[in-house]
Order: sequence, then C-alpha cells, then structure tokens
Amino acid sequence: MNVQNTIAATHTADATTVEEGLAIQEAQAVLDSVSATEVAMQNTLLTPRFYTTDFDELDAIDVSSVRRDWDELIDEMVADPNKGHFRKNEAWDHVDWDGMDPDLRKEFIDFLISSCTAEFSGCVLYKEMKRRGANKDVTQLFQLMARDEARHAGFINDALREAGVAVNLGFLTQKKKYTYFRPKFIYYATYLSEKIGYARYITIFRHLQANPDHRFHPIFKWFEEWCNDEFRHGEAFALLMKTDPKLTQGINVYWIKFFLTAVYATMYVRDHQRPAFHKALGVDPDWYAHEVFTKTSKLSEQIFPITLDIEHPRWQRNLERLHKANVQIADAKEQGGVAGKLKQLAGSAKAALAFASLLTIPANKHRVPAQTRLEPVY
Amino acid sequence: MGLLTREIERAPCTVEISHCFDSLHAHVRFNNGAVVYPGDEVQVEGPEIMAPFGEIVREDREAIIVRASKLEQLWTRLTGDFEVMELCEFSFSEEVKL
Repeated sequence: MNVQNTIAATHTADATTVEEGLAIQEAQAVLDSVSATEVAMQNTLLTPRFYTTDFDELDAIDVSSVRRDWDELIDEMVADPNKGHFRKNEAWDHVDWDGMDPDLRKEFIDFLISSCTAEFSGCVLYKEMKRRGANKDVTQLFQLMARDEARHAGFINDALREAGVAVNLGFLTQKKKYTYFRPKFIYYATYLSEKIGYARYITIFRHLQANPDHRFHPIFKWFEEWCNDEFRHGEAFALLMKTDPKLTQGINVYWIKFFLTAVYATMYVRDHQRPAFHKALGVDPDWYAHEVFTKTSKLSEQIFPITLDIEHPRWQRNLERLHKANVQIADAKEQGGVAGKLKQLAGSAKAALAFASLLTIPANKHRVPAQTRLEPVY
Repeated sequence: MGLLTREIERAPCTVEISHCFDSLHAHVRFNNGAVVYPGDEVQVEGPEIMAPFGEIVREDREAIIVRASKLEQLWTRLTGDFEVMELCEFSFSEEVKL
C-alpha cells in the first residue's frame, strides 16, 4: 500500500502512514472512557450511489442572462459565511444517550445516518459534476456546494460518534455501478430537495426557539445556518433553470408537477413512519407537513409556473391512504408466503391509486417573476 | 465497445478520504484520464481504506473499470431516470419500522 500523504491531527501528529495513525488511535482508545467506547462502536457503512449525467449539456449552460444574480450568489458562497460554524462549541449540551427512550434513540439515529448519507451522496454528485465539467461558472458552483455538503456530513458524523455510531467510508473498495440521470431531472430533484430541506429545518428551528424544552439534542441549534446553506444551493439551481426557459415550459411542467407530488408525498410518508421523533419534538407530523409544503410552494414560485393545491380535499385524504398502503406493503413483506405476496400486491395497487389521485389534482398556476433571487426569511 | 460484451480496463487512481469534522468525503480520481459512462462498474483494488477520525488519507491505487456493453449503457440511460428520487433528501430512511 502506498500512502501518499497523511495529514495528521494533533494526537497522531507523528504518524506518517495510515496504519500508524490507526495504531496510535487504538493505543489511545484505552486511555479514556470516551475513546474506549469507540472500540465498541457500531459500524455503519455509508453507501452513497454514483451517478453520471450529460456533461456536454452541463458545459453548454450559459449564465450570462442571470449574470448579476449569479455572481452575487457565488460571491456569497465564496465569502463562506458558515466557515467554522459546524463544530461543537459550548452550546453543544450534554446528550444523555443512555437515558433516551429506546424508540426515540432508534429514530433519531436513523435521522442522523440518513442525513449524513444524503449530505455525503450530494457531495459525491457535486464533486463529480465539478470534475467532469469544463464550464467555469458551473464547476465553481458545484465545487462550493460539494464543500458545504462535506462539511454538513462531517458535523453529523461528529454527533453520530458521540452516540457510538462510527461511519465507515470503505465503500470505495466495493464494486459500484454508475447510473445515469438527465441534467434536467437532477435540477428538478435537487432544487426541490434543497428548498424542502430549508423549509423542514427552519420550521423545526423556529418551533424549538419557541419551545426549547422539546430540544432533545443540541444539533437542532445549528439548523438555522445549516438550512441557509440549503437555501443558497436551491437558489443556484433556480438560476440554472432560469438560463433555459424551456426547462419550465411545455411538457416539462408535467415533470415539475410529478416531482413536486413525489417529493411532498415521500416526505409525508417518511415523517409519519417516525412517530417517536416527532412526539419528542412536540410536533404533529400533519401540521409539520402542511407548514413545510406551504413554505416550499411559496419559495418554488420563484421558478416553477405551478404549485400543488394542498388545500384540495383529495390532498390530505390520499396522503393518508398512501401512508396506510405503505405500512400494509411492509407488513405483508414481513408476513411472507402466498398470502403475504397477495397482500403486498393489494398494498401496491392502493399506493399507486392514491398517488395517481394526488397527481391528478389540478395545480395552481401563476406567473413566474422576472427576478428569481430570494432571501431566506422564514 | 461490443453490443453485448463487457470490457475490463485498469486505471491508476488516487483515492482521497477525509474523516474530519469540517469535511467528511471520499473521492476517486482516475490518473490516466479514464472516463466513466452510464452502466460502468468501478472497483478500487486492495484492502478497505480507512481514515482515522480527524485525518485525511490519500492513496494511489488501481481501479478496475468494467465497461458496460453498448446495450447495458443504453438501458442505463433509458431507465436511470426512474431512480432520480434518490437525489432527494427526507431526513429519514425508507424503512417503515426500525
């Protein structure tokens, strides 16, 4: 093995190879109780996916029509307002992991691992786009976004370590297949993901500001700056879409409707599968979903010509149906056998019907403003 | 590239793994300019690379690229889009029960 370069932290400052670094860590592990628990850490292998896209199409993007807004946004990201923010400081209260309700603990760790994997996958995707692209504007943007995602992942990793969960980055030596997405699907999906991420985090942050007794973990205190990064990333994708009006016209409006519906419905179903988490926060998942959808819709008006009619009577009813169908599918899988298989099929049919019903609710139409850029005000 | 046959290629690469509070990332860079296309499979050879907490490790390794056949590449391009929802972030895993 050829170790080219090891940048060592203070406690392993003399290590010149990774084996040596590991050996020092292991030797230190017995010295104090904190690192002693590291030995017994639960090991979680991160499994990000790998993507390729049409890099020629990415290179063909011309941001000159939004140049002023673009440069302003990039300058803001280069100035890096959140540098040094994502580290534990005196505001990081002690977390009583042993005293935590076991259901809450399970759901909260699922939250941390899923969030860490998502940030990590985002980092891998953005880095790939940076590396393969030749358009300076685009590669600079993806480089800056990869930086933010890696930083968030590092911060969550820190919180996980405290909980006795070590993430394993050894996935690179496993065989991995590269799948393919068209650039426009990447824009729709990541734009919405960043904006809904902002809406989710800011809603929890404001709720906990008003109800600090429900803040069962210090990581929520970092949500405000965290979601401002998400907000900026969303702004960048909005500007990218603005450079090509075709992306938000014609047949693509149906794609936008599909993505809005799929993203909102998936969020609803996933949140309702984590009751202990929401109970501990003092948040009703139905109220939360409605809040987040309202905010995300308001924000997405900056670029999408439609928003979903979440006040329509079919909306809530079919979200609940979708959730129930999803539970039925899972139960049926667990049951197994022919009866299980049949129940699973019935569940899938119910889910498909509920989704179709959501998708066919007429959308609200509106004029897209000439000026795209927004500020985070929630 | 054959319609149905896969070709295997070796490429020198540099792996960088950062296990720091300010950046958790892992990247592979091919040093001979090799480019990965839809459906290709990549595996970095050798034992698992681990970075102790607080460190960045860079290693030169060899990667095996299994090139997808023309047909597989086409298939991946046509169907990859169905998985695009993976890019979305919802804070929780899809498991109904933990």
